[in-house]
Amino acid sequence: MRRRLFFLLGVFLFFVGLWVTGAKPSELLPNEGGRETASKFLMAAFSPALDFEDPEMRESEVDFIHKLGRVLGLTLRYAVAAMSLALLIGIIWGILGSRAWWSRSSLFLQTIRIGSRLMATAVRSVHELMWALLFLSAVGTSPLAAVLAMALPYGGTLAKVFSELLDESESSAAGVIRMSGGGGLAAFSAGVVTRALPDLVTYALYRLECAIRSSAVLGFVGVPTLGYEIKTAYEDGHYREIWTYLYILLAIVIFFEWWGTKIRNLLTKGVASKKPDVRQPDVAELWKARGTSLFLRGSLLVILIGGTMSWLLEDRWGAGVSWEQRIQNLDRFTDEIVPYPVRESNDDWGKVGPWFGEKMSEGGSEAVSQTFHLGTASILLAGILALIAVGFSARTLASFRPRGIWDGYPAWRAVIGSILRGGAMLGRAMPEFILAFLLLRIFGPTVWALILALAIHNCGILMRLGAEVIDNTPSQASSVILAQGGSRTSAYIGALVPTGFTRMVLFLFYRWESCIREATVLGMLGVASLGFLISDAKVSLFYDEMVLWVALGAALVFLGDLTSDFVRYKLRGKHNR
Amino acid sequence: MLELQSATLAYDSVVAVDSVDLEIRPGEQVCLIGPSGCGKTSLLGLMNGRLESSSGRVILNGKEFKSLSGKALKKTRSKIAWIPQDLGLVPNLRVNQNIACGRASKKGFCGLMRSLLLMGSREKEEVLDLLKRVGIEEKIFHRVDHLSGGQQQRVAIARALYQRPQMILADEPVSAVDPERAKSLVELLIGLSREEGQTLVMSLHDIDLAKRYFDRVIGLRKGQVVIDGAPDEVDLTKLYDLS
Repeated sequence: MRRRLFFLLGVFLFFVGLWVTGAKPSELLPNEGGRETASKFLMAAFSPALDFEDPEMRESEVDFIHKLGRVLGLTLRYAVAAMSLALLIGIIWGILGSRAWWSRSSLFLQTIRIGSRLMATAVRSVHELMWALLFLSAVGTSPLAAVLAMALPYGGTLAKVFSELLDESESSAAGVIRMSGGGGLAAFSAGVVTRALPDLVTYALYRLECAIRSSAVLGFVGVPTLGYEIKTAYEDGHYREIWTYLYILLAIVIFFEWWGTKIRNLLTKGVASKKPDVRQPDVAELWKARGTSLFLRGSLLVILIGGTMSWLLEDRWGAGVSWEQRIQNLDRFTDEIVPYPVRESNDDWGKVGPWFGEKMSEGGSEAVSQTFHLGTASILLAGILALIAVGFSARTLASFRPRGIWDGYPAWRAVIGSILRGGAMLGRAMPEFILAFLLLRIFGPTVWALILALAIHNCGILMRLGAEVIDNTPSQASSVILAQGGSRTSAYIGALVPTGFTRMVLFLFYRWESCIREATVLGMLGVASLGFLISDAKVSLFYDEMVLWVALGAALVFLGDLTSDFVRYKLRGKHNR
Repeated sequence: MLELQSATLAYDSVVAVDSVDLEIRPGEQVCLIGPSGCGKTSLLGLMNGRLESSSGRVILNGKEFKSLSGKALKKTRSKIAWIPQDLGLVPNLRVNQNIACGRASKKGFCGLMRSLLLMGSREKEEVLDLLKRVGIEEKIFHRVDHLSGGQQQRVAIARALYQRPQMILADEPVSAVDPERAKSLVELLIGLSREEGQTLVMSLHDIDLAKRYFDRVIGLRKGQVVIDGAPDEVDLTKLYDLS
């Protein structure tokens, strides 16, 4: 009954979202120009460019592959540099925000812990693209600004997740060390961190994959990464070049998924020790026979070298602008972010209230509402699509022997499963911002482009998470349904969905918070939402307004984050009971 | 010597340990028995200062736990090894690394990290000798989660011995294994602690094991000591409320 109510509420909120954002069903069909662009664009997917499409460029001294390598190198370098900094922030902040670190509970320590967590949440509430706009406006365009823009929100995200992972890993092992007279630091490091290490490493690698996508997107605000090339190629009508960049991005995501999974498996399962060669081995022989992984060692080496090189290879972190100039820029920026009426009235801060009210009534409230509903409608659409698709894409249902029962069906289910899984991977690989940029060119200036972009990307993620739930759910009921001649769909809807429903809803809320976050920036592409106001204020050099909209977006994401945390906490409790 | 004087432990309105008076003498092999929820784990928690008594005193070698803090508390704790019910091992660390954790107090943070990351050959030899005594020397560099339940229990025992404590507190360490394996583990722990002259306080469910191997049996019911004495002298029916 509750599941049905939840489902109906979701459908209701989806339609409310469409109504508020003004998404008309008729706009779902692109006009003739849009259809032509879409067809050209999709056809180009089958012949990605290996050389410049522009004949003049082909004749120039610049080589396309060389340019591709340079752009890819920059995208990776900024992502890795940002992640190395984010990791530092995440580790320190994550430990401070972890319950496992503070072995004693006093009001003061609790305040520090909760304060650290809230700060981390607040920092990650501002999208990296917003941070980039703020840094670029404050100190000018430079690689350092781009790296800092990614490092701050990623550091906040890592801190939040690290502290949760550390808390989940607290066990009696730390207690044993403490009770044997060991210090708090020793107990925490040996008893908690070592236990959480596989999860910490896996999550950091996943964030590195996200950082690469973000680094690509930063190209849209002028940083010379993949996004910049995609934008330029689109403006020039070079669709085949775009597909080359997109395929590169896809290859990177596939590689990181493979790498992360392999490292996670090695860390969680370990490598079995060999049998020593001699009958009564001594320590040295036993040590030689221990289980080791060349892959893990190699990966560690690659990460260390990559992290160091990402900083060393850039020789123009400040883009040649002197520190004096930067400080001047910063001074000007900090002056101009003070609300205009306050500046005009010699710091009369009483004028902020009316100014804020005026800005909200001029479009701020509407933009906040649009942003919220854009994120909500998108995640609900993604959720519904993923719920349907998982029934076909989950490996245990798509195989020749679904849930271990032979049902005599031909191979088409397996083929559909593979196509859907491939599609989901493609959706996950495409950053929402780039997808929205491309869809806006096809559908024209309609909010549908943003809804679809968010829904496609998140559907890809939810399909993977949902399939994992279904594949790992031990359900005798589903096997019984299949053994009694029931269809795979009956087994899925009748047994597997009800069993895994709470976990699927947990994932939906986890992605809802991300959708709200992304929705704040998608407006920068020209559709009314907070992002639109931010971009408009930046162009007009109204930095006070720009900061107001960024802060408002952050507040919305912050509230979404807290709500999502609360719902997930409640659901997790119910799930564990 | 460990003394408990009218030690009481209450969680809100529930009294887990109710005014217990006990004296555990050095080298004694003591078994705590009683039905589930009778307060065995709480009583062990009071004995190593993991839990603070609501009233009464817990005294180890003449020092009251409540009066200790900082280094003095750590030093006192280093004399007591604890084997919790779930063994308290780090599953993704190797056996030698888990055992090294037993000496965290003496090593300090840096020393422990060095042992975890780069254990010296002398320490490896020492750990190997210890593992020979518990019968799993060939597993020294295996990950703990690659071992069977019985082998993991032996690792926990080895870690406790590596600490070189005066007293070992073991909280139902054999609750999850079959009777044969439980017997051999209790025999092992009793034998090793006797060899070292260490006090052993172990909580158990199995009355037969308690009567067969221990010098002294302490029976608990509803947080109170209802029997205390040599195994052949005590009336075990007092453990269960038959009224």
